[in-house]
Amino acid sequence: MISTRALTKRYGATTALDDVNLQVPDGSIYGLAGPNGAGKTTILGIIAGLKEASSGEVVLGVGRHEIAVLSDTPQFDKWLTGREVVALSLELASAGTDAARIDQVLAETGLTEAARRRVGGYSRGMLQRLGIAATLVSRPRLLLLDEPASALDPQGRREVLDLITRLRGTATVLFSSHILADVQEVCDTVGILRGGRLLFQGPLHQLLVGSAVPRYEVRLRGNSAPAIAALRRAPWVTQVREFNAGEVLVEVRSLQDAEVGLPRALAEAGASVVSLRPEEVSLERAFLELTQ
Amino acid sequence: MNLWRLEILRVLRTRRWIALGAVYVGFGLLGPLSAKYLAELLKLSGTGADGITITFPPPVPADGMAQYVANALQVGTIVAVVVVAGALAFDAIPEMGVFLRTRVTSVWGILIPRLVVSFAVCAAAFVLGTATAWYETWALLGPLSASAVAWGTLMGILFTAFLVALVAAIAQWAKGVLGTVLTSLVVLIVLPILGIVRAIQVWLPTRLGGALTELTSGTPASEFWRSSLVAVLATVGLLVVAAWGARRREI
Repeated sequence: MISTRALTKRYGATTALDDVNLQVPDGSIYGLAGPNGAGKTTILGIIAGLKEASSGEVVLGVGRHEIAVLSDTPQFDKWLTGREVVALSLELASAGTDAARIDQVLAETGLTEAARRRVGGYSRGMLQRLGIAATLVSRPRLLLLDEPASALDPQGRREVLDLITRLRGTATVLFSSHILADVQEVCDTVGILRGGRLLFQGPLHQLLVGSAVPRYEVRLRGNSAPAIAALRRAPWVTQVREFNAGEVLVEVRSLQDAEVGLPRALAEAGASVVSLRPEEVSLERAFLELTQ
Repeated sequence: MNLWRLEILRVLRTRRWIALGAVYVGFGLLGPLSAKYLAELLKLSGTGADGITITFPPPVPADGMAQYVANALQVGTIVAVVVVAGALAFDAIPEMGVFLRTRVTSVWGILIPRLVVSFAVCAAAFVLGTATAWYETWALLGPLSASAVAWGTLMGILFTAFLVALVAAIAQWAKGVLGTVLTSLVVLIVLPILGIVRAIQVWLPTRLGGALTELTSGTPASEFWRSSLVAVLATVGLLVVAAWGARRREI
């Protein structure tokens, strides 16, 4: 659907994007994660045609009229009503005036009651939802969403994430966020950006399993010192840390080593094992390990 | 809802038409009135401390139009620049710029309705104010040459087109509405200053703004061909600059 080749953007001496090769599969929900200033908005801006790349190219699998863009804090003329904003968006995108479709997206975004009120009286969350309604109304094939939920309260965030999830299979979504939990929740493909460089790109599970160092959480009853000492001697163990009394985090070279060696080492040390399980890898942890 | 309707709603709902209409029609009413009663008004305020008495010649019809133009050209131009800048600086709030730019195939799609509606509302206010001043002058001071008023109005409209194009061009390069307004006003102030040199003045498009005064005082319309020509060429050039600026701007 979208690919970029050696995309670079410079502002004077500052390189905002450095040789970025993005591959957004057709129909995917692609999360572009990275800290503030990583270059997420710049990439979206270049793909949307709002900025020009210093070098490299963007290959789009859809026409420009099939792309819809939502900025992080959407704003509209305050004297328009919410319905008029959505109607304007539909008219501009498809030269159509489908009243039923306008009502439908207003309902989906929970704005039916406020539809005839002027936008100047909308809260920030309502503006965000109005922006999403205006983005969805023309049924775009590609949506570029810049931090769509970052400015919202928990309920608003929940609604926006649900809306994005419902788009799966009907459109390709490229959305940027520095909230990793959001990316982990709705995305199937992830790109990690830092300092303008794409550090990782691929399916979410590949990032979680492949990039993060495997760890096991071990709970022991009684004296845990002999078991910890035994684990520290094992060649396939890279780190052992007791984070609570009897609760030990064991970092291993590979899951395969741990699956065979960990129960044996604990048994040989005479440890009383309450539980033993691989630590669930979060995107946040994978992200931090990748970017630090 | 389309971009034309959007611009018409902008003028109506933000009450910009009232601001423009009030300024031009207001000065259209007040200009001839103050020309007629200027001597009396000064008499009422008394003589100076040195006992100086100022004697005015009896007002003539051209004075009514001159008073209107003098006021409308200053305050009216400022209001017009603010109104036009508000419509044409569409990237002033980047999120609004993103909304529009990503939904049109060409920036002309955004620019043309804004240019046309802004020009139409400013020109309409100017014509309405001129018609008011003309009527009031006739009623208070006597008739004016219809052809002089018609030519003067036409040249005033041409000046309005130049003003709109100037603001449009500046809006695509300046930052925000305030920057656009201030830069436009500086240009509109500097140009007449250059006109102190007579050889330059006859070519200046800003001369057209006050053409009504000169024409109703007896200056032939042919005197303004150079200003008119420059105004037309500058308007076209500024529109090209506006489109170029809008296309190259990154938000």
